[in-house]
Amino acid sequence: MATTTASVSISSSDLQLGNRLSISATSTLMKTGLTTGLEIMEMGKNNLTVADSHKALYEGGVAAGDRDQASYVYLCNDATEDTSYIEVGIHDTIMGRLYAGDWMFMPYAQGDNAAEISIEAEGGTCPYQYAIFATAKTLIDSDQA
Amino acid sequence: MATINATISVSSDIMSYSTSINKTMTMTKADTCNGLEETSGLNSKKFNAVTAVVIVSNTEGTATKANKVYIRNTGSDKAENFYVSLNASGSAAGTTESIGKLYGGDWMLIPWVATAATTHDICVVPSTAEPMSLEWMVFSE
Repeated sequence: MATTTASVSISSSDLQLGNRLSISATSTLMKTGLTTGLEIMEMGKNNLTVADSHKALYEGGVAAGDRDQASYVYLCNDATEDTSYIEVGIHDTIMGRLYAGDWMFMPYAQGDNAAEISIEAEGGTCPYQYAIFATAKTLIDSDQA
Repeated sequence: MATINATISVSSDIMSYSTSINKTMTMTKADTCNGLEETSGLNSKKFNAVTAVVIVSNTEGTATKANKVYIRNTGSDKAENFYVSLNASGSAAGTTESIGKLYGGDWMLIPWVATAATTHDICVVPSTAEPMSLEWMVFSE
């Protein structure tokens, strides 16, 4: 059984005066509802140009068995210009803007086959890195007879 | 101007070679290098009903800005989860617009545009009526 551990720490000494912020959390990522570790992973690095418009970083559950499962997404914008950001959405709903140097990590339910993770570069080309950790992924049929 | 740093570390042995992700970001305002200055503070709540609840209203952030939202299931039960979605009416996978499930101990940190509409409220639904707890925090401009 594979073990995947995701940790976060958030800190600030001056966000709230007199109250130092320090949050730490660690989770071992398991298959849906189980104590068995995830066994599917995809990682990549690419460039996203403004001209690319909206692209699907990861398709929603193509097969019914892939949907509504425990999956997680990491995405990082490696751009260096403050005005270059990746607009991240789920299908046609914009979730947020990932500015230069920002990263995000979230669960991803793949609720249906129209729940792709959508990314679009704004303000300039955005190099990005991503990783997907999933419970299930059914390969789509090949056109080979 | 405040300085808020967030660091992620992921390690995995899914592949035949070990994988490691380490990245630190400083939360800045949109289009600048100036740090975010506002926060909701850390919220904590116990849930004991399988009912959709808006934990972050679209009014807590600003559209077209660089808001961030941190959410964590503070429990340890990997069989139960909080279903997280965008949209006040989101209540299950497939509804507009599902994000994912936070099982016991799971956390998430996402950018959030806070468009002035209930379509951008952040909603959670516990998977059980047994007591479960969640903590969350909004960082905004």
